[in-house]
Amino acid sequence: MAHDESIPKTDRTTGGLFNIAGVLAAAALLFASCGTNSGGGGGSNAPAGSAAQAPAVSAAASVGGTLTVWAMGNEGVKLKDLADAFMKDNPGTTVNVTPVDWGQAVAKLQTAIAGHQTPDVSQMGTDMMGQFAETKALEAVPANFTAGNFFEGAWNTNVVNGTVYGVPWYVETRLLYYRKDIAEKAGITSPPATWDDLHTMAKAMQEKGGAKYGISLGTQNWQEYVPFLWSNGGQIVDDQGKFQLNSPQAVEALTAYKSYFTEGLSPKSVPEGFDITPAFVAGTHPMFFSGPWHLGLIKEAGGAGFEDKWAIAPIPKKVSATSFVGGSNLVVYKDSKNKDLAWKFVQYLTDPKTQVAWYKDVTDLPAVSSAWDDQTLKTDPNVAKFGDQLKDTKAQPAVSTWSELATALNSSLEKMTTGSLEPQAAADEMQKEAETIGTGAAK
Amino acid sequence: MAVPALAQRRTAVEASSSASARAWRENLTGWAFAAPFVILFGVFMVLPIVSSFVLSFTSFGLRDLASPLGTTFVGLSNYIDLLSDRKFWSSLFNTFYFVVIGVPLTLALGLFIANALNRGVNKFKTVFRVGYYLPVITSIVAIAVVWRFLLNPDVGLINMLLGSVGISGPAWLADPVLAMPSIIAMAVWRNLGFAMVVFLAGMQAIPASLYEAASIDGAGRWQSFRFVTIPMLRPTILFMTVITTIGYLQLFEEPFVMTGGGPLDKTLSVTMYMYQQGFAFFHQGYASAVAYVLFLIVAVIAFLQFKFLRSDT
Repeated sequence: MAHDESIPKTDRTTGGLFNIAGVLAAAALLFASCGTNSGGGGGSNAPAGSAAQAPAVSAAASVGGTLTVWAMGNEGVKLKDLADAFMKDNPGTTVNVTPVDWGQAVAKLQTAIAGHQTPDVSQMGTDMMGQFAETKALEAVPANFTAGNFFEGAWNTNVVNGTVYGVPWYVETRLLYYRKDIAEKAGITSPPATWDDLHTMAKAMQEKGGAKYGISLGTQNWQEYVPFLWSNGGQIVDDQGKFQLNSPQAVEALTAYKSYFTEGLSPKSVPEGFDITPAFVAGTHPMFFSGPWHLGLIKEAGGAGFEDKWAIAPIPKKVSATSFVGGSNLVVYKDSKNKDLAWKFVQYLTDPKTQVAWYKDVTDLPAVSSAWDDQTLKTDPNVAKFGDQLKDTKAQPAVSTWSELATALNSSLEKMTTGSLEPQAAADEMQKEAETIGTGAAK
Repeated sequence: MAVPALAQRRTAVEASSSASARAWRENLTGWAFAAPFVILFGVFMVLPIVSSFVLSFTSFGLRDLASPLGTTFVGLSNYIDLLSDRKFWSSLFNTFYFVVIGVPLTLALGLFIANALNRGVNKFKTVFRVGYYLPVITSIVAIAVVWRFLLNPDVGLINMLLGSVGISGPAWLADPVLAMPSIIAMAVWRNLGFAMVVFLAGMQAIPASLYEAASIDGAGRWQSFRFVTIPMLRPTILFMTVITTIGYLQLFEEPFVMTGGGPLDKTLSVTMYMYQQGFAFFHQGYASAVAYVLFLIVAVIAFLQFKFLRSDT
């Protein structure tokens, strides 16, 4: 699909003919995405667990008007580039991008919802979806958007109580960063493929590689624990909406996680504001799990001659090799006066070509799986590894109580990693706390 | 020039209108002058105070955000839940730990420094005064950054000094036992400047003749401090005790920027817990109940301090 010319940013200098082509292309896209499922009508073709979506919006090429879009952090600064390209393709439309600081994003959006002064479209962290769906301020996603086009883990962050409230925009996932030179010094030449490999490697790096620690795992970070849980076949919530935090798989995962701390392979006490990047470059912490942003940070901190000393590898396998997927979605608000145009803008941002251009601009990883076929994303082997890992990822359940659940998980995890709480007891505590908090669905 | 003109106009007004109309008009003028304050106070103080009181009897949460009037009243159940909320009790314990150690320390050090500056140090008096007061007016975020560096277990100045005498320093803020004392140390350092300035002002109001009389009677430096300065400062001390206690009971910024309430919730204060419930979990009804319980505690403690400290004089 979509062999159109609507490449953002780059065609800013070309003439009016391009505008018409752009409009047509955008319109064609709307149809094209419906067509990917053998010409069917969208929503009914959604894969397993088929969640409710609103009827497809009309693809009229003449949608005009003004949109207000809120985006956070770096995206908030750079989205203007894409908005400009969109306006050029759609004469008569104005897209105002308002950058919002991540630290204030939740409060600002809540205030906007309470005052019925919401933007038309906004970026929303994947972990915020349950919470904001609860406010009933989000519009259900129309059937133009098909689950199959996106990474499954990323799409699922939008499905709250069976309704789809957002569209994945960009993703991030966690891989293992390790020091190749220290591993080789310890006699290890290939990245760890299994949990046992990871443990052996951490031990060898500390004992023979000369590193202070073997690996740096989060003492109170659920995002680092859940890949262990999922890779062991465990889950946070099952299909019936019941918590499974003290399942045998979970206890086993916690046992493996704790072993790194009891054996002194991972630091028990991490100073507030600790930065892993310099520690990794110095070689004291030769392994850690993190997202794509560390590629650039390490490159910068390591300087010349460091690029051969480290590598990244997929999550080590147990039952599976499942990582955590995060990132941001795009949502449209019920209070929006121009929903058709809003969805059109979302459609534009999630077009594979736009996604590739966006990657080039801000290095946000595309949430649309077909965008990864582009050469740009294949040339960098490290980035390609993230693309491979994305095929096996999960996210936290999209429930309204997630921030509370996350706090409870972190708290039990901290008691286990830094204190004397045993894995079974930690699992039971997580389960009990989670059941008290609930998923917010029943009330 | 302006004064006689005003006076003339005043007499003219007085002559032309009846007494009651004048009173009404003066009333109105008064209110007009007070209006900016009254309106701001009403909108930003009274309204939130009243509405959070109402909220504390509701289950106000995310689902009510778009239509606040649709929230459900739950009676006293927020307050009843609080009684069995372990995290609330531990945050209350942490807060009292902070107050019981922090308030006497702040006041004693403030008093000591004020006395030193008042009676002893003559050179560089201004430099010291400014030096001690600077932390009070410095942004807490800037202070937190510096203190986090100081307390850093690996590269921090404090542990480097300890290391130079052969002591391996602990991870101050990441240690469940040492985190609160570290927070207290920072808060005392930050706030003693204010206590010092107030005490210094109080001391300078004490007549020099009292000290002269004391020294004629043979009082030494300690005795004149004990029997002249302290009794004369009693109202100031009472004021500072009450103000500092109220401030410290609302401990928020220091742990918020330094530890985020950790490790293991050992520096989680009541106000931080309220913030977490209200703005992270968005249980605004419950958070309002926490706020009112804290308000009650502050009120009772302030009342007791006034009652006992004042009756001593």
